[in-house]
Amino acid sequence: MSYKLPDEKDLDAMIGIVGKDYATNNKAITASYLSKSVMGLEAQIPDIVVRPKYIEEIRKILLYCSAEKIAVSPISGGLSGGFACPTIKPAGVMLDLGRMNRIIEVDTDNRYVVVEPGVTIGELWAYMHKNYPEWAPPVPDGAPPASTVMGDAIDRGFSLYTSSVGPQGDNFMCGEIVFPNGDIVRTGSWALPFAKPFYKYGLGPDIWSFLMGSQGALGVMTKVAVKIYPHPKFKTVVVWGMSNPEDMQDLTLEIGKQEFGIAHNTVMVQGGNYPLVMTRWPKDKIPHDYEFYEQLGISKWWMNWECWAQTQEELDYVVNRINKMAEDFKKNRAKDPDSIKPQELHPKQIASRLKKPNKIAVPYSFWEAGFLFITFYTPWNECAHFAKMYTAAMEKYGFPPVMWIASIERCRQAICMPIICFDSTKQSDIEKVQEMNRETTEYALKQGWLNYRPDPYIHAPLTYSQAGMYWKYLRTMKKIFDPNMIMHPGRLALP
Amino acid sequence: MAKTGMERLKELEKEIYKCIHCKACRFAYSGEPSREGIGEFTGKQGTVLYEGMVDACPAGIEYGWEAFWNAGKIWIARSILSGDLEFSDEVRDVIMPCITCGQCSAQCENKIPTVDIIESLRAACVEAGVPMIEKHQLVDRLVKELNNPYGGKAEDRFKWAKDAGLGKYINNKNAKVGYYVGCTASYRQIEVAIATAKIFEQLGVDFTLIEEEVCCGSPFFRVGAVDTAQELMRKNLEAFKNLDTVYFSCAGCYRTITIDYPKWMAEGEKLPFKTMHAFELVSKLITEGQIKFKPNKELKGKVVTYHDPCHTGRHFALEMEQEMIKNSKNLMFDMRKVNKAIDAWFEIPRVILRKLEEDVGIKFVEMYRIKNNSMCCGAGGGVRAGYPDFSLRTASLRCDEANAVKADILTTECPFCWRNLSDANDLYNHGMQVMGVLEMISKYNLLDTANLK
Repeated sequence: MSYKLPDEKDLDAMIGIVGKDYATNNKAITASYLSKSVMGLEAQIPDIVVRPKYIEEIRKILLYCSAEKIAVSPISGGLSGGFACPTIKPAGVMLDLGRMNRIIEVDTDNRYVVVEPGVTIGELWAYMHKNYPEWAPPVPDGAPPASTVMGDAIDRGFSLYTSSVGPQGDNFMCGEIVFPNGDIVRTGSWALPFAKPFYKYGLGPDIWSFLMGSQGALGVMTKVAVKIYPHPKFKTVVVWGMSNPEDMQDLTLEIGKQEFGIAHNTVMVQGGNYPLVMTRWPKDKIPHDYEFYEQLGISKWWMNWECWAQTQEELDYVVNRINKMAEDFKKNRAKDPDSIKPQELHPKQIASRLKKPNKIAVPYSFWEAGFLFITFYTPWNECAHFAKMYTAAMEKYGFPPVMWIASIERCRQAICMPIICFDSTKQSDIEKVQEMNRETTEYALKQGWLNYRPDPYIHAPLTYSQAGMYWKYLRTMKKIFDPNMIMHPGRLALP
Repeated sequence: MAKTGMERLKELEKEIYKCIHCKACRFAYSGEPSREGIGEFTGKQGTVLYEGMVDACPAGIEYGWEAFWNAGKIWIARSILSGDLEFSDEVRDVIMPCITCGQCSAQCENKIPTVDIIESLRAACVEAGVPMIEKHQLVDRLVKELNNPYGGKAEDRFKWAKDAGLGKYINNKNAKVGYYVGCTASYRQIEVAIATAKIFEQLGVDFTLIEEEVCCGSPFFRVGAVDTAQELMRKNLEAFKNLDTVYFSCAGCYRTITIDYPKWMAEGEKLPFKTMHAFELVSKLITEGQIKFKPNKELKGKVVTYHDPCHTGRHFALEMEQEMIKNSKNLMFDMRKVNKAIDAWFEIPRVILRKLEEDVGIKFVEMYRIKNNSMCCGAGGGVRAGYPDFSLRTASLRCDEANAVKADILTTECPFCWRNLSDANDLYNHGMQVMGVLEMISKYNLLDTANLK
């Protein structure tokens, strides 16, 4: 597929739509939108950046670019970890949706908030904290505060209660999308002119779900109603440590499989291994031997259960049940019972872990100079297998074996995230990362594990090469909305 | 042999490549999402929700494009290093309207020295032959001709001292302590210079004003005119070389001579004297119980707030942090010490303000964004000279924040912040008084030195 390289005439057309202050091909400004880290190492400087404010402007931009065959890549302000889906070849027009940043409506009876794409999680959190302190918006855990609610959601990312209620995509009620064919579509109950965004599936097959995980490759989301949840005052963190990922996996599954009660109270269930702590510091300024971490009371592997409850009595019940189940697991079924122990947290540590949104996922560049999250979904009872495979691969390639794992929807799935800490100033390091990425992806696909937010040059082509029929229908459906295939070409191996 | 901007930029390559473009750096309190604030306030520059994390990058707020927020500039620096982008007028015009306040650096979990990077980028831009913007060229010409950027005559530099009866301190040969006055206090905010010198006199400090004093070079380090800055640096080092300690009343001069000079001096060269801001001396004497303040009817009950100048506040804190990181062998343990040292640093001016509250009867109230999260006044980084409208809008945003806590008096400890905040206060009718803390002490004759040893 070939695309037109935008020229001055195209810039004039963009200026005609949004005004001269909001469209540019200034080389310094376009370069500033680069990002080669966290979620992917490839990016291309866009040719033109446009900052629309209104849906009608977006419609005109898409219609123009579709007619001219100019590629368009939307960003809502930085998906959940920096610019997770920056422009790649063939570049073209980048739509920076940061100006569309209104918090439009909060409905605490029907429990949703309506936001535009540029609303950051930091802004929404502050707004809710001040005006609706009894309610918490589904902000991601670990994603930095400038990431957006919209970006995280359409990426089916993580929220602060994903372990209880499912991935962020499930928190969506209704949305508004502009397609490159010029249509503006409202989904769920919003498809009816006077309906509140109270029901996602009201009008039969759900179009919105088709957009989940689309990475901007189908259309531009301009408004969304997303669920809010009670924000109770009674919270704590329970931590159990162990020596191996199998015990971490199996104990966590026992609790998650309860489904009701305590499984719902454990809003965030996440853990990992001790290099997760180590690599948050510069490589030459922190001990590498496990003995140091052991002395600090850090187990080789551990799992956190963040518990929310409406009363202290309820919270105590949840904590006691988790502890009792852990003791029972240790006694009867653990692989290494002696290693299984509760980890006492200082109140400050508890407060720090309960803080949302947070910057917990940011400092891995401190180790050297750059890092990459390579994320997979596995069935929960295969996450230990994944962890062992991946940590071995990281050690083979000379990277510290950093592994983070979290439960989605009460251990129905695991999100497994090796964090590759490396020196991005070195081309040799980048090549090693990509070689390992390819090798591990090939292995993972053979196990039936899925990549989350697939990389355009490794994960997406490898994955779709094994799912030809699915890819055929994705392509066919994309053509309905995006007949000239202008939306974020290449991102999902589409086209 | 002094370094070039490009050499500094290359030295910082690893730091530049640490940026993951997470953009936490656009917020004050990016790590405190649930920080209790003062709610929404509508001021002269619009409505701000002072709650949790708040947008705080002045250039980003003003211009909006990614290039003007810090992370965008770091990726511009990376593109320059990787060869994806060349220096040009376009690059200059996005990297110059940055106040280099360092808010971004204070927020960065990867501890990226953003101010160093932006200043090196600017220096490399000038070296690459991209002309400075006209207003910066003008001050560059003025300082080369007159040793100050205001166009003042050299012989008038200490006119304020002569007029205030403080002439005996000019070239006071016996003194081993110097007072580096700086251009702003010498030619513009002379009340700051007079107040500081009078306080020294009251405290019995035998000091000297060095006639050969020239501009510290701060504006020129900031805008990338490093040759000019280094020439001024050499003149000052020569002029002050025989002193043991040099005191300052200007945050910018203090930062420049203490932090910048050693970075731009040749390998192995060291500052020949100790440096200290006058407010540190006053704060120390309060802590030691040697001085207190007299009650004052005019000030009693006045709501006073304090603006942390970036140059004496955050820049010193960040430098402290970088230095401690460099020297640490186990940063996980040492980071607590770093945070403690930073907290202690920001307490120094507050010791004075709390003592004023206790003795004088002012009501000291903090703004929402303070200390390492303080919002800039808009004057630094060459912005006041180069982009005056933007600079004053930023100062007005800061005045809005002072209005939000109902301040009668907005104090600070930097004549350059003083100037910008005062101009915005007048231009946008914020209705406050802007004053230096030492100026207030001197103007109202508050110092009680009965216990001074």
